[in-house]
Amino acid sequence: MKWFWCLFFAFWPILAIAVCLVAPAYGWWFPGPAASPLGQRIDDLFYMILIITTLTFIGTQIGLAYVLFTGARRTDPDVQQKAWFSHGSHELEVIWSVAPAFILLFIALYQLDVWADYRVKDMFPHEEMEGLLAEGLHQKRDEHDNMHLAEVTARQFEWRIRYPGFDEDGNLLPLEREPQPTDLYDVNDLHLPASAPVMIMLKSQDVQHSFFLPELRVKQDAVPGLVIPIWFEATKKGEYALTCAELCGWGHYKMKARFVAESDEEFLEYLRELHRKQFFDGVVEAESEEEEDE
Amino acid sequence: MKPWSFLIFCSLALLHLTGCNSSPPQFSNRAEFDDLEPYAQEYVSEVLDSYFGTPTESVAWERLPVEYHFTETTVSSSPSPRKVTLDVAAGGHGSIGPGTEIHFASTNESNWITEWDAATGLATLERKPTQAIAEGEAVIVGPGAILKNGRHLYAQHCQHCHGVSGDGNGPTARYLNPLPRDYRNGRFKFTTTSYDFSPSRDDLGRVIREGIPGTYMPSFKLLKQEEMQAIVEYVRWLSMRGEIEKQLIETALADYTHEAVKLRVDGGASREEIEAEFYKRLADGEIQESLEVVVDLMVERWKGSDLAENMVQVATKRPPATPESIAHGRQLYLDVNNKCASCHGDAGFGDGPQNYAYTPGKPGPGLYDDWDNPIKPRNLHTGIYRGGRRPYDLFCRIRASVKGTPMPKFDTMKEEDVWDLVNYVYSIPYEEEVAGSGRLEEMVDSAESEIESAAESESNEVASR
Repeated sequence: MKWFWCLFFAFWPILAIAVCLVAPAYGWWFPGPAASPLGQRIDDLFYMILIITTLTFIGTQIGLAYVLFTGARRTDPDVQQKAWFSHGSHELEVIWSVAPAFILLFIALYQLDVWADYRVKDMFPHEEMEGLLAEGLHQKRDEHDNMHLAEVTARQFEWRIRYPGFDEDGNLLPLEREPQPTDLYDVNDLHLPASAPVMIMLKSQDVQHSFFLPELRVKQDAVPGLVIPIWFEATKKGEYALTCAELCGWGHYKMKARFVAESDEEFLEYLRELHRKQFFDGVVEAESEEEEDE
Repeated sequence: MKPWSFLIFCSLALLHLTGCNSSPPQFSNRAEFDDLEPYAQEYVSEVLDSYFGTPTESVAWERLPVEYHFTETTVSSSPSPRKVTLDVAAGGHGSIGPGTEIHFASTNESNWITEWDAATGLATLERKPTQAIAEGEAVIVGPGAILKNGRHLYAQHCQHCHGVSGDGNGPTARYLNPLPRDYRNGRFKFTTTSYDFSPSRDDLGRVIREGIPGTYMPSFKLLKQEEMQAIVEYVRWLSMRGEIEKQLIETALADYTHEAVKLRVDGGASREEIEAEFYKRLADGEIQESLEVVVDLMVERWKGSDLAENMVQVATKRPPATPESIAHGRQLYLDVNNKCASCHGDAGFGDGPQNYAYTPGKPGPGLYDDWDNPIKPRNLHTGIYRGGRRPYDLFCRIRASVKGTPMPKFDTMKEEDVWDLVNYVYSIPYEEEVAGSGRLEEMVDSAESEIESAAESESNEVASR
């Protein structure tokens, strides 16, 4: 019976590792490869920690199995070997305190960069964002203007989005903190340029929500009363999921939206289309007849 | 008794109490239904059952202007016994695919599509039809499928608030303010149709797609076009069902409420006589006749709601929001004849005196909508436009009112006046000074001192040069 229990307890860590190994092949893994450079760095961090913990896990499980089997063997009637008591061993205590401490310290210092790039405002890629706004999108701006391209307001149970509008000459305006008569509005459909860092303001109208772009590895709580800047960069054009990652009420599951990363031109065209729709005054002209029945 | 058998007994008892087979959903009746005499109730139930069925066994009543089927078309050719080419140039339906039912009118036979080519309209059938299919034969593709899809989607996305019968009383409705729409009197607030009409399909679709900001109605933008269409048709169907129920109770059977019967009994008639009279009128087709009138009017109205001529008409483009236009809009807003300020308040905060006025027949002071819920006039400072923020939306709100609320229609107002009002309403959230916040003397004083100080600094400037 004792060998059964030895095998029983040794079986579970082996199963755990086996399941982890086959998981990616079955799709029980990340939602696709990281779709943003920062997401890639977050994934790298994740894998580094995964490797460290896996090695530690395997090591401790082998140690555990060793103790289990040798201990079980010593209870055989013909074995005279005595147990070795390690309890209170100063050397061992030092080893297993200091070694993990160094590993943890290493992780803590090593990840600082990624964290700072994602969260510390001074570390945001300001120059690249400035470049996109001024050159890519031809925004009329000076250094005091916001760099945000959209304000995303979470509410039960949808994402309301405010974009900057155009001036009389058709130039994109900077997004102001307060709503402007020229602003453009949409819901559950976030369009932003791809291949360059973009920034949004995140707000909540009621309770706590969480802005989650799984493919881009972006997750940020929306807290009532705060305006939180988030930047991200989609490496490829395409459609991504935008969901709420904070249980916000009975309709939490309804907060599913779309994030569309597109070229600068497509983004501007999208805003112009939004402008046309939003300022539609019921007079259908010959060339814009499709507006009515879109 | 052994412990394990006790455990099994307990779980069986629990299963029995909670039930593992839930009964199918049922349409509920409106409150007024209970005021009818039992025989009249029976008749209402009979009519609704035969024309609409139950939520899970729906009836597609062809007389209603509801799109039940994917498409009704004809066979253009039949290359082999199990293949037909359908004439879908007129507009196929995105949902047609393997598994779609296809119904042949001449043989009254149903078949199922196994392969479908949307470009050519070529369908491969599951089995060989009993008779060869002739060219030009009428077929219904997906009979009742839109209604069925609509019911499934409605149950998934809408029912928990709007209720099985569209009464706006689903399980989550009690947590909401404002309450979800009760479709059953055919009134919908935000439409682009003129006052007397129901919403167009586009109006309902827009609300599903964009949601209603300022309320709990969220946007369902990620649904496919076909899915939204199916929900729109189902909501129309529910609304028509509710309306027929309401009209039946209120008009056709008005003589058979407890109250009406009691009055007649007090007047000397006996209950048996009244019941006999009801059955006689039923046999003579009199009640059926008044039902017909109700249905005709309703069908006409819903049909008309999708016609371009019944949309709110705009001839001139919105003029630019110049200070003059806004000032004129403000003037119209304060005009006693237009009464905007009596509800929305002098400064547009939705705090006009009507909020405190008593209306006969209402349970309390203030304003009530057609569903007898207390409502508040919109605070125009929030920048939230429930019915949409397009100038056309605001134009429609003024022209055709917010239907089912005390908001009046301004259908005789001059178009340029409506536009000035729209421009004024747009300007309210951006006002730097709230209307009426200062006193006149103060304004005059400060203006004079400003002029003086300006003149002084000017003269100083001149002097310094």
